Amino acid sequence: MSLFEEMQQAIIDGKAPVVKELTQKALSEGIKPADIFPKAIVPAMDEVGRRMRDCEFFIPEVLIAARAARAATDILRPLLVGDAAARPAGTVVCCTVKGDLHDIGKNIVAMMLESAGFRIIDLGADVSAEKIVDAVRAHDANLVAMSALLTTTMVNMKSVIEALAAAGLREKVKVMVGGAPVTESWARSIGADGYGKDAPAAVDLARSLAAA
Amino acid sequence: MSGRERVIAMLDGKAVDCLPVMPITMMFAVDQIGKKYYEYATDYHVLADAQVLTAETFDFDHVSAIAETREAPDCGAVVEYFDDQPPSVVESRALLADKSSLARLEIPDPLAGPRMHDRIKGIALLKERAGGGKVVEGWIEGPCGASADLRGINTLMLDFYDDPSFIRDVFGYTVEVGLRFARTQISAGADIIGIGDPAASLVSRKIYEEFVWPYEKRLVDGLHELGARVRLHICGNTRHILQGMGSLGCDIVDLDSAAPLDEARAAMGPDQVLLGNIDPVRDLRDGTPESVYAAMAECHRQAGPRFIVGAGCEVPRDTPAANVHALVCYAHEHAP
Repeated sequence: MSLFEEMQQAIIDGKAPVVKELTQKALSEGIKPADIFPKAIVPAMDEVGRRMRDCEFFIPEVLIAARAARAATDILRPLLVGDAAARPAGTVVCCTVKGDLHDIGKNIVAMMLESAGFRIIDLGADVSAEKIVDAVRAHDANLVAMSALLTTTMVNMKSVIEALAAAGLREKVKVMVGGAPVTESWARSIGADGYGKDAPAAVDLARSLAAA
Repeated sequence: MSGRERVIAMLDGKAVDCLPVMPITMMFAVDQIGKKYYEYATDYHVLADAQVLTAETFDFDHVSAIAETREAPDCGAVVEYFDDQPPSVVESRALLADKSSLARLEIPDPLAGPRMHDRIKGIALLKERAGGGKVVEGWIEGPCGASADLRGINTLMLDFYDDPSFIRDVFGYTVEVGLRFARTQISAGADIIGIGDPAASLVSRKIYEEFVWPYEKRLVDGLHELGARVRLHICGNTRHILQGMGSLGCDIVDLDSAAPLDEARAAMGPDQVLLGNIDPVRDLRDGTPESVYAAMAECHRQAGPRFIVGAGCEVPRDTPAANVHALVCYAHEHAP
């Protein structure tokens, strides 16, 4: 088993200390930090997404895998600053919308997007439209990912899109939405660019929106 | 038959005149009386007014004390209230952020804790105002959901791998809290105790069977010993744990819309009373009376005769009244 394969397996198994050790070993062997993402972390988390989609993995398994992936990214990120070969796939401002404290779905999407090479600006839960607009501007984001678990709070997604438009940012960012009561038709009706029915779908969507 | 007679007869396996109907309502109910959800959550008079008016307007067979967790705040958890939507536990200030705090937690007295006591008084009022003709439903949190409220759901999900013995300790604690709360609700007049255990759908079948099921079973058995009937509702996709849910011995298994009723019937056998389960948003809120009626017919076809009409989860706010009438109309026009 190659070092990259070992790392992938350790991430999938959620073994954060092993991932940390293997990351340090890879670096000590002269492997470029920018190579570890596409050869170990991204394929591992893609496999985690597949297992989640196929109901082989549930939330605890996804969370421990994401935590293991983060053990690698925490070491690698500082080494990648200024490395043109390691430009993020995009910058995503993510949050749960105003009035909604449910954040586990948003957290999983954020962790999987991060592992897929996106730069994540996680604003947390119960986030106002103004804060989202400010974060898009401050971090030069090209994606906004919003979650809501309640039918009462999903309406706030529309306010965010209107606020982005009022701030002159709507053409600059793609907006993706998700959460239990959210539907494809709701996403279309509020002018969002896409709807992700689960975390793996959100990663696929972010990739396609960032490439558009 | 009165609604109460109809539900009890269905649960006892006796003949009924038509299908019982017991949808979950909270925000939809409070909107019927023009009050804010904050008032519903904090004042049992408002809850009782909303439940009784909604049950009478739409001819439901039950009234319910279901609302957000009352156990967590009375255990000491921080809860944030909103003007017109359900309160939420503040996970960033979780009561059991430090696991060692569990050893110092006591089982709250439902008559002393303000939030639990509010529900007890609500049940007594529901019994007084509607208990003659309708089933009175109390409500408690299941072990996975209640523990998530105390520990934080993100952390609890990691605990299954990081600290299984803590999981067993906190689940055991929440079962004791739930049974004490239920005992007082039953004394106040609850005929049925609903168990809400939403976080249970987030874990694998293996984790569910190893950790969650034994404590849900302890809760269900304890409720039966107290003389109550039991309705289990687990939000979300429960397809992978249907067999376990069906072996708990609940009087009613109330399924969310992601779990097809024919799968549940196959997993749980012919005698289990199933409740549900049209999609609350896509079918009930966004549908038409005709499509709601048709969706209920399909649920009935899949579930067979041991069946109670309802939505997969809470009837959403802004659901057209005509759609709720269509759901009830299906029940009234069909025998099991």
